[in-house]
Amino acid sequence: MPPESRIPPLLQPYTRLPKHPSLFLLTGTLGATANWLIIRFLCDVLATKNGSRAAENDKAGDEVGEGGTAVVLVSWIREYEFWRNEARKGAGLDLQRLGNEKRVAFVDGLSRMYMPEVGKQSITQNTVLTTPQTQNMVTARTPARMTPWTPPAPLMSTSEAKSDNKGYFFLHTPDLKAFEETVMSATAYLESSSRPPKSILLILDAPDTLLATEPGITPSALASTILQLHAKMLHAIVHVSADDALLSLSMPPQPLEISGHNFLVGMAHGSKRVISCRVLDTGVAKDVSGVLRITGGAGGGFSELFGEDEERVEARELLYLVKGDGSVKVFERGAGEG
Amino acid sequence: MAFRKRNIPLSRAGEAPQDPSSSPTPTTPQSISGTRPSPIDGRLTTSTGTPSLDNILAGHAGLALGTSLFIGESGTTDYAGILLRFYAAEGVVQGHKVHVVGLGEWWGRDLPGLAGSKGEEKRREAGERMKIAWRYEGLGEFGSRGSPAPNRATAQAKAGDAEEPAAFCHIFDLAKRLELPVQSVINYITVPATAKDSPFVSVLQNLQRQIACSPPNSIHRLLIPGLLSPATYPLTAAQPQYVLQFLHALRALLRQYPTRLAAMFTLPLTLYPRSTGLVRWMEILSDGVLELSPFPNDRRLSTSGAATQEEERPQGMFAVHKLPIYHEKGGGGGAEWLGEDLAFTVSRRKFMIAKFSLPPVEGDTEAQQGGAQESHGGVNMPSKAELDF
Repeated sequence: MPPESRIPPLLQPYTRLPKHPSLFLLTGTLGATANWLIIRFLCDVLATKNGSRAAENDKAGDEVGEGGTAVVLVSWIREYEFWRNEARKGAGLDLQRLGNEKRVAFVDGLSRMYMPEVGKQSITQNTVLTTPQTQNMVTARTPARMTPWTPPAPLMSTSEAKSDNKGYFFLHTPDLKAFEETVMSATAYLESSSRPPKSILLILDAPDTLLATEPGITPSALASTILQLHAKMLHAIVHVSADDALLSLSMPPQPLEISGHNFLVGMAHGSKRVISCRVLDTGVAKDVSGVLRITGGAGGGFSELFGEDEERVEARELLYLVKGDGSVKVFERGAGEG
Repeated sequence: MAFRKRNIPLSRAGEAPQDPSSSPTPTTPQSISGTRPSPIDGRLTTSTGTPSLDNILAGHAGLALGTSLFIGESGTTDYAGILLRFYAAEGVVQGHKVHVVGLGEWWGRDLPGLAGSKGEEKRREAGERMKIAWRYEGLGEFGSRGSPAPNRATAQAKAGDAEEPAAFCHIFDLAKRLELPVQSVINYITVPATAKDSPFVSVLQNLQRQIACSPPNSIHRLLIPGLLSPATYPLTAAQPQYVLQFLHALRALLRQYPTRLAAMFTLPLTLYPRSTGLVRWMEILSDGVLELSPFPNDRRLSTSGAATQEEERPQGMFAVHKLPIYHEKGGGGGAEWLGEDLAFTVSRRKFMIAKFSLPPVEGDTEAQQGGAQESHGGVNMPSKAELDF
């Protein structure tokens, strides 16, 4: 099935990645996650076998897609199995095969992040950083704090990852340095392909989990890590929760809320396009899963630098429906079925 | 696609590049008591012990293994605790391993027993009803709110009504006590009262060890009654780095055993309101989020939910904020009633979740009659000019 039919026509201009470096922000809420949207981005990037963008992606005609864009998917709260199933159902992609072909690398931030070691009775457990980190750069932080939990080799070495699991990496600690290194080794894995990708898309699913679960991490440190990684890749997509409870501070405000809020606002300012999913304001409808709001973020200033303005998007609001079989329908208000 | 057998969990068919030790052993769905494949995608589900709760879980007709349910309750009542008791009792009856965090053996001794003769009668009655495969029965059966028990029983009627082990969900009687078969069926995990470390690490380790030591096709049910309640947990447990890391790890553990472990936990919402970031994060890290809001103890208010006087009065409102699997996929298909106002009714034998509707004001009959008489006599009759539009 051609990718065009997997991505609803109204959505296509927004899932298409621009030529220039870009940072996209996807936000979701408890009742309306943007997971399906990430799948659509994956579909757009990875399923371009005979797509119309073949020519611009790659000069070498029939090897389209091989030298195109590769993806590093980092997920902190969703497991690989979920993404694999959704990609298969929603986009017709086989992540397993793509992983073997070095077009997709998955970084698992769920399975081993906070899982205590069985057997080793915890003499030294997770002690909390009581002193909040100042606006230091990421490198200032030491990963030593969490090491008692981790296996002898705290970070999966690149060679080990390559030999054992094709394109599958683990995050063992919430530490940002480790995160950066793991993503870099995932990138190295992708670039070790016989046809190195022209560009790499970095998808971060719920990086705000780090802020919530580890108060020692400041929003600015996380944001700067993401920007550093983005500087090495061409594109980045960040999926963050934007529930009301997380954004509007309770009285007295919890540090958790403040950091989440700061991070989200900072990312929104820095990103070129903001796509937010939320539930229907008027209640639950059978034929609408949620509302999609697309706005051009402030971070689009680069396109002017490049002298092109074609990628600027108009602010727009659409409705979407995720069907049971994984397909998605996107439509204007009032244009739903029936 | 069409050649695949529907009742084999497709999602588990492939080999994920996971840790070899963590990869679950594929088991045939039918072989384990108390589980059945979901009618939607074939993943294994188990019963929550409450038929009407099973029904609202987005068409899966049960709690999918590998997922968790988060039940918040406001006020000082413990209706969510009843759901947990049913859940635990169902596990004990089905021979599942039940893990209870934070509470002692007294809690286990208090589990509701199997409803006796009446339930049997119902089942036999249901056996004579038209025999429909349960998977069709399970689809959108929420409308039949009057009789969840017979519905459930038709499921087993398919396998023959004499077969007791085929039951997916039992009926429990809160007035009876469950006789625990072996003492070791319920594993009580204590929460250490440490002030410095995370109290949850030992809980997780205990759970991991228990699952790792158990036979590969055993089903585990994790219950956390009153998470973060000051009665059980030290004050520091509510710090995000403790409780959220715990829930994150628990989520990882659930995903590690997608065919063996399911969890249910309750949270006192009055102490930890939903509007705070901490609770929202707990909800994000859980798969299903339900909220119970009991009506205040006021006769007038509590009568309002029952459509007729014979019907039992609901004890409170039941809100669904997130459903396992359904919302993770983006929401769509299979949960038509999601936007409905739901209310719950607890009686001795059941915890029923049904649509909430406001009846005609019952106490107002005199006034209505009086008004009718008056208008008949033409005393305070509005003039024609007032009625004319």
